[in-house]
Amino acid sequence: MLVQEAPIVWNSLKGLICVYKPAEVSVHKMRKILISKICQEMNSLEGRPPSDYVAIEGDPSQKLTVSVRPNFADHPLVVGPRYQNQDLHVSWSNFLGFYTNGVLLFGIRDGTRQAKFIRENRPTRAYRIKGKLGEVTDNCFKTGKVVMKSTWRHVKQEHMDRFLSAMQASHQKKMFEMCGVDIQSQTAYELAIQGPIRPANSKIPIIYGIKCIEFQPPEFTVEIQCINEYEDYLTHIIHEIGQKLHSTAHCTGIQCIRHSRFTLEHALLMKHWTLTNLLKNMDVCSKILVESGENLPRKSSRLV
Amino acid sequence: MHYSQKVTKKLVPTGLRFLSGPKRKYPINPDLSKDLPVFQYVQSKNKYKRLFSWGNAKTGALGLKGIIDKQAEYLRSPKRVSFAEKFEVRTVAIGFGFTTFAINSDTDVKLYGTGVNTDSQIGYHAIRAGHPMEIIYYPQPISLPFKNPTTSKIIKLSAGRAHLMVLTSDEGVFLLGNNAYGQCGRKIISDENYLKSNLVHHIEDIEGKRIIDIQCGQDHSMLLAEDGSVYSSGWGADGQTGLGHFRNTEEFSRVRGDISDEKIVQLACRSDFILALNDKGETFGWGNNEYGQLSLPNEEQQLANPTSMDVINKLGKIKSVASGGSFCLAANEYGEVYTWGYGLLGLGPNVELSKKPILIPCTLFGKNDFQPNNTVVKVVCGLNYAAAVTNLGDLFTWGRNKWGCLGLGNEKDQYFPLKVSLGGSVEDVFCGIDHTVALCKPFI
Repeated sequence: MLVQEAPIVWNSLKGLICVYKPAEVSVHKMRKILISKICQEMNSLEGRPPSDYVAIEGDPSQKLTVSVRPNFADHPLVVGPRYQNQDLHVSWSNFLGFYTNGVLLFGIRDGTRQAKFIRENRPTRAYRIKGKLGEVTDNCFKTGKVVMKSTWRHVKQEHMDRFLSAMQASHQKKMFEMCGVDIQSQTAYELAIQGPIRPANSKIPIIYGIKCIEFQPPEFTVEIQCINEYEDYLTHIIHEIGQKLHSTAHCTGIQCIRHSRFTLEHALLMKHWTLTNLLKNMDVCSKILVESGENLPRKSSRLV
Repeated sequence: MHYSQKVTKKLVPTGLRFLSGPKRKYPINPDLSKDLPVFQYVQSKNKYKRLFSWGNAKTGALGLKGIIDKQAEYLRSPKRVSFAEKFEVRTVAIGFGFTTFAINSDTDVKLYGTGVNTDSQIGYHAIRAGHPMEIIYYPQPISLPFKNPTTSKIIKLSAGRAHLMVLTSDEGVFLLGNNAYGQCGRKIISDENYLKSNLVHHIEDIEGKRIIDIQCGQDHSMLLAEDGSVYSSGWGADGQTGLGHFRNTEEFSRVRGDISDEKIVQLACRSDFILALNDKGETFGWGNNEYGQLSLPNEEQQLANPTSMDVINKLGKIKSVASGGSFCLAANEYGEVYTWGYGLLGLGPNVELSKKPILIPCTLFGKNDFQPNNTVVKVVCGLNYAAAVTNLGDLFTWGRNKWGCLGLGNEKDQYFPLKVSLGGSVEDVFCGIDHTVALCKPFI
């Protein structure tokens, strides 16, 4: 049971929350919904009473009377609700595209700082991407206009695996080239033996792991661990897979299943957004943050 | 409350979900896609393999002259060889400046060669009678004297500095090219003109035993018989022949030493140090030992007797060995790669010499949390560089990048294994002195 005093709740409402973003709701919209939801519920709690108005009245030559009465200038009916949307600072640490669903992190009030650190630390994200063989659309997603069709029955899982492993290895080679160190130096060697490393540039997507986890032609699902990616990049990967397998493919769904150490089981559904649940979620998230060390700026470019 | 109701209303009936997004000027009519034609792309045949080559193009050994820019003297990244699109290539051999391809064929032309031909190592090719070509820029057919061309197949090719060995399934071994030191296993004829020579030496079997494997060193040759015994012939100044003396040998003779009772299954040699692997996964070495490939108590630099390499045998069962000009590689059953000797060992710029085998970290071959089952299955050495093939069909190279022979897109020496970008999953790789060929299976 939540305490009924709004100021106490407000003071504890600082930190990071992990929510589930549905497809076809933009991150901006999610933020707006979250803010108004929190404010609405805060306002329904017992708010701070209006401050007192101390009036010293009377004739200055006579004895003055001091009276204390409610201050109308601080009354909710005059100044509006105690908690207003523009007072609540919320920012996201990972941006998900319009059609993507999955794990999304929001920093609330002081948590925006943590959200910033996570964003700047560039942790890896994992996605499950669904694709369908046989058709290409103009935006490589199922919403687009079909521009070409092809056969797909010759595509087998082994072909897919063979191509994806080659693709992964090529990306790991790219990773060394992008690490910002002269590849002939001892430093480059020492970085390389540590395993996966982050690229120096935060704009170029790098895939660390990609594999096909479900193959029921014409539909298939690939799981990708990556960094610096964006929605269009992921849909175009599916398009490329289709091309390389002598067929065509388009993307039918993108789900972010992991961001840093936040997974789907931590993500709060929109219908469960109440102050109680949000505060609980905030608690879980802060524990994960401390465990993973993502709340501090990172020094090394090593990935794990 | 107000908002959440609005959202749930929109999201709960998933079946009716309307896909919104950026508005289109011309809304999509789904019926139009029904009229689209269905394309069918070509699929590759079962035996089809892709061939990629890179490195020094001046010798013509890439088989690409005219296809790549005429000004280009070398190719820094792999390019597909169109020869393999016309013929089903079985295997390849790389010598010093020349390349040979074995193909599936019913005629006696099962072998093609390109590159330097100063010693007729890739056959006699003359446009005018009596004027053979010293250099060939496109793969040219080499006719071999098969008794039964329809059933015989070429199993393996191996090439040295200027000679070539061809192992067939039924008809033994054919040897072509330079015989100045007896590397072709025939009598040395002084002042023999190899350029105008049209001679193909044939060895049906060795002491009545079938030949199952061949390996060329720089100027010597080795045969592996079916019972696991090794025979060698050719240049022996550093003990390469392993026959207990340092003279040249004109005839294939049995190699004794520590391997006389062992069943050898694999021989590896690119230059003058030879590694042999027996059926138990133990390693033996002989030949030129200047760079500490084989640590001996008396610091001997030439070793004419095969010697067991105990340091290597401690590393587990060895599956694949390779020996370059100054260093060696061994991959064990767990897919770990060990290196020793002198040169760019793949252990960073600081390590240049090691007499004991050092593990090259598995992470450099792509083994990490995202790909835990990645192991090295084959190691190959060029003269100054090395290559490794993983079970997932990736090729990694490192070492001296002379003429861009590493295929990494630059000319910088590479101090640790780096993946070569290839359009196929690698089945085998062949390294020479300044060029490389990879035989790949297409993805589909």
